[in-house]
Amino acid sequence: MIFDSYEAYEQASFKPKVCILGSGPAGTTIARKLGAAGIPVVVLEAGSREFSDESQDFYRGTTAGDYYFDLDITRLRFMGGSSNHWAGWCRVLDKQDFEPKAWAPDTGWPISRADIEPYLREVRDILELPDFRPDVPISDDIRWVQLIKSPAVRFAEKFADELDRSRNIAVVLNTYATELAGDGRRVTGARLWSNGQDAGTFTADYFITCTGGLENSRLLLWSNRRSNGGVVPNAAALGRYWMEHPTFQGGNAILANYDEFEVDASNEAFFSPTAAAMERLRILNFGIRLIESPYPNVKRLIADLACTAPDMAEWMSSQLDQRLRCAAQLYVAWEQAPLASNQIELSKTDVDHAGVPCIELHWKKSPLEHRTLLEGLRLFGTTLARKNLGRVRIDDWISNGGDYPTNQETAGHHHMGGTRMGTDVLKSVVDANCKVHGMDNLYVGGSSVFCTSGQCNPTTTITALACRLGDHLSKVITV
Amino acid sequence: MSYFIEKISRRKILQALIALPALSLFRNRPAVPNPDGIDPDEIVEINGWILRRSDLA
Repeated sequence: MIFDSYEAYEQASFKPKVCILGSGPAGTTIARKLGAAGIPVVVLEAGSREFSDESQDFYRGTTAGDYYFDLDITRLRFMGGSSNHWAGWCRVLDKQDFEPKAWAPDTGWPISRADIEPYLREVRDILELPDFRPDVPISDDIRWVQLIKSPAVRFAEKFADELDRSRNIAVVLNTYATELAGDGRRVTGARLWSNGQDAGTFTADYFITCTGGLENSRLLLWSNRRSNGGVVPNAAALGRYWMEHPTFQGGNAILANYDEFEVDASNEAFFSPTAAAMERLRILNFGIRLIESPYPNVKRLIADLACTAPDMAEWMSSQLDQRLRCAAQLYVAWEQAPLASNQIELSKTDVDHAGVPCIELHWKKSPLEHRTLLEGLRLFGTTLARKNLGRVRIDDWISNGGDYPTNQETAGHHHMGGTRMGTDVLKSVVDANCKVHGMDNLYVGGSSVFCTSGQCNPTTTITALACRLGDHLSKVITV
Repeated sequence: MSYFIEKISRRKILQALIALPALSLFRNRPAVPNPDGIDPDEIVEINGWILRRSDLA
């Protein structure tokens, strides 16, 4: 069932066991799992069926530290959430992403990749993916990895009919849960805002916040303040360890033979370091996206190379006579060090139309990340040179330790952390089952539970974790 | 000695002098490929380029 207003929903006399906040990939996936298990669930979606400036305005906020996007454009507040604008890149976090790195504090998850692998078949169906192929090592240091360009499933479009037909799922649009109330053991209700006014308190046995990698922290910070710590009793890490995937052009490459690596429809191939290389160099995970360049850039690159390495340039020129389109741009995205200082706070001055404080996001990239970027490109360049597959040029701002450019991609719009998973209540918010520490009936879905970011796009892992949480709750909740 | 010089032509003397550097090829010792000890496969980073030493002029 889908209701376009809370008033319409109230007429239906639906009795949910579970209340999910948010209808993005995590919320929709968990709802479908619970609905299939016969558990009545309501999904409260703050937005409507379509994009609107009025709804996005609730996402306004400010940023401090490194340049970041406006918070009302980096995510979407309507049915289907940010699945409505994702590009569709899919890959699951690497095995080593779940493991602690001795050289990077506060890394490591309380679960391993093996814990989510049983759900990857479901994820492939949901995201319409073929099987993932194993990574291919091209040296001791570099793996040729696969990111699958999926059809970029829009969750609302794909599942609207199924949700509407379901007797166990009620999606309620235009209904904003402004805060949760709790007594330090249980969430006792959710305060609602609908039709521009307070709409009373909503109760259910279980609550799952799936409002996104920024909004989950905002909701819980505000709720906890209003309930005097009764919603997140152990709140030391709440809003902290927030992460993105910084993304920049890192250099160029000239390849001896572009056919060496099979590329996707966008002429892209992807490379990452091996676990051994990360450990040896004490760096984080990173991904190099190699994109074929148009020919004019090759001429410039060859001319540049000729100044430095005339013998090499002569060889390259002869190669280019036979194959003109064999140069590439290198884009780099990398794993961020989880830092408590990268955090979401509530604004002291700005509130949204419902009176909820806006987000103040504090975000800075760390020296370890710059080293990861530089050493990562060096590893890739060294591998290509040693194997005579091509040559790499690292952009000057990276080699010289310059500032990050402000006219590039900047980041992936991947919002991770803030309610991270863990066993230490001082450094995490939820346990291995995504249940808020100390609370009996409050769970969190989505990338805000990520302990580390890895280097790949998060939607595949978000969906796998949602399947796992749905499965867990299906066993925990009795109807 | 003068007898020997009288018997061979100046042309042959010149050919012998030209061939002298090649005599090392017949000695039972491998030729030194790089008198400076530089490894041509060494990876170097110059102006942002990651190259092999042998790429350089």
